[in-house]
Amino acid sequence: MAREECKALLDALNKTTACYHHLVLTVGGSADTQDLREELQKTRQKARELAVATGARLTVALRDRGLATEERAEFERLWVAFSGCLDLLEADMQRSLTLGAAFPLHAPRRPLVRTGVAGGSSAVAARALSARSLRHEAEGDFDVADLPELEREVLQVGKMIDDMEMKVNVPRWTVQARQAAGAELLSGASAGASSAGGISVQERAGPCDPNKALAATVFSAVLLVAVALALCVAKLS
Amino acid sequence: MGWVLRWVDGKAGVSFCSVLQIEALVKDMQNPETGVRMQNQRVLVTSVPHAMTGGDVLQWIIQRLWISNLEAQNLGNFIVKYGYIYPLQDPKNLILKPDSSLYRFQTPYFWPTQQWPAEDTDYAIYLAKRNIKKKGILEEYEKENYDFLNKKINYKWDFVIMQAKEQYRTGKERNKADRYALDCQEKAYWLVHRSPPGMNNVLDYGLDRVTNPNEVKVNQLSFSCVCTLTVMEQNKRSLLSEKRIVKYSEQFSSNDAIMSGCLPSNPWITDDTQFWDLNAKLVEVPTKMRVERWAFNFSELIRDPKGENLGFWEACEDLKYGDQSKVKEKAEEIYKLFLAPGARRWINIDGKTMDITVKGLRHPHRYVLDAAQTHIYMLMKKDSYARYLKSPIYKEMLAKAIEPQETTKRRQVDSTLPFMRRHLRSSPSPVILRQLEEEEKAREAANTVDITQVMSKLDRRSLLKKELPPK
Repeated sequence: MAREECKALLDALNKTTACYHHLVLTVGGSADTQDLREELQKTRQKARELAVATGARLTVALRDRGLATEERAEFERLWVAFSGCLDLLEADMQRSLTLGAAFPLHAPRRPLVRTGVAGGSSAVAARALSARSLRHEAEGDFDVADLPELEREVLQVGKMIDDMEMKVNVPRWTVQARQAAGAELLSGASAGASSAGGISVQERAGPCDPNKALAATVFSAVLLVAVALALCVAKLS
Repeated sequence: MGWVLRWVDGKAGVSFCSVLQIEALVKDMQNPETGVRMQNQRVLVTSVPHAMTGGDVLQWIIQRLWISNLEAQNLGNFIVKYGYIYPLQDPKNLILKPDSSLYRFQTPYFWPTQQWPAEDTDYAIYLAKRNIKKKGILEEYEKENYDFLNKKINYKWDFVIMQAKEQYRTGKERNKADRYALDCQEKAYWLVHRSPPGMNNVLDYGLDRVTNPNEVKVNQLSFSCVCTLTVMEQNKRSLLSEKRIVKYSEQFSSNDAIMSGCLPSNPWITDDTQFWDLNAKLVEVPTKMRVERWAFNFSELIRDPKGENLGFWEACEDLKYGDQSKVKEKAEEIYKLFLAPGARRWINIDGKTMDITVKGLRHPHRYVLDAAQTHIYMLMKKDSYARYLKSPIYKEMLAKAIEPQETTKRRQVDSTLPFMRRHLRSSPSPVILRQLEEEEKAREAANTVDITQVMSKLDRRSLLKKELPPK
């Protein structure tokens, strides 16, 4: 189904955009390395591919005049989310270009800002690329070589946004969001949630919190001791 | 290298040029040898690097720039207020404490230098993330902002929630110390750009403040030493505007009811409404103060509702800015009252303007009377005003104008006796006043000419003109 496909692509694009945003936050800081710049490049390539694919599908769907109103509304919702992702991606790419130029990594090196972030970000990039791990092949001056490429890509994304706006006319303000305020607090599938803000249900999938496990064992031990004492007292009396 | 930081108007507004200089200073602080001394911050069981004490930062600034303690303190406060450095222990108090409280540098993405706007969408995503992290327990102002944004950008809400969840999960891919530092950074950024109520927000007028672009954006990097906030460093511009303000205050101080009391007595204090009666809009004999005010300034005269040309002016303004549904009626009224030949309050504008205006009145719209209005304004300003001030009419008015006596004594005695029954006179209700005005207008309108008759007359006249030349 076209809709499921679009949704899946959009989710992937959303994930990649979030990862890219996360990586750009650390440019210029103490965690900025050639590896980071390479990860940025790979992530944004993936993001661009996904964006082109999603955009093509959505454009085809929305230009189809024979679409039922309900379906059309659904596609318009996806379109609004898609354009939000694209805007965020474009802004982040622009900012990474500026920051990358302002904080060059090659010699003579000006010291990077000591922001307290020191660890590696390869896990983030691996998440973006849906890979298990990442191999870094960057040479010494990757960041310098990458900048003109990045500039070109920023312009391409901008052009893509403009093209899509021209082809598809979706009045954004008429789109009704499916999710209400506070829907992020409900874990699990996103669609169909409806609740007022402030619901604090959260299931813990996966391994239990070690603190809670510790507390539980201590409590049960105390309980056993109490029961044993009670039995002794009962036997003696 | 020497520094001068330009403080616009000598106050807390920092221009773009200064922001660049602060950035250069902060970059200098990063040098591992000559920069600020760093230490580790212990948070529960983790240790996050790159923390520094306020005292260290202050000392560094003093030594680097060769300035006094007080100025360094001020500069430090600005660096924190703009978000280059954020406090770790007291995040909402954006000042540089000269003791051992800890600070950390903000990541360049969040620096204000680039003037990237802090968008509503980004803020919404941040709030949603915070909601997830705190399991729904947000602060009051955050909850309000959240609900407000939910209404404002509701169509984007699916995207906001999607992105917030993903960003939250992505954050978990990092180690604990990094996660802590990144969280602090983002929180500090939004405390600067969307401050909670009650917090001093320097960005209210900060980088987006309207400043003179020619003055400020020139990159001036080489000057003499000191950055001082004394009066001498204030711009000449600010001195000029101060002079103007002083002149204005002096001129108007006698007219100001608060500064120099009002005659006969302040109605709010003594319950005597004579002041309002005397200064009512359409009073026959205006008070002396009012007449004197007309001599100050042409715009004062214009604003005063008595007078013919001014009446026209006011009517035009009303047409321009008033209710559009009544444009046609208003335009007709104005025509009847001011423009038609033989009108009751006829104004003197030249034939060409009159032609244009009358033609425009066929299809009246907001700006149809602009030409006439401008003409009248210029005429009044250049010609009539000077003549008016010298004219006997004005002098007569000045002489006739009342200078009301102060009526303090009697009333004060009354009001000091607490159990005395005060006779409270209520002023005529504004509804009645308005009715009186409308009745007057209706009376004036009764003696005027119908617009269509004049239009047909004009047409006939132009036809005649056309006929004449071929003869």
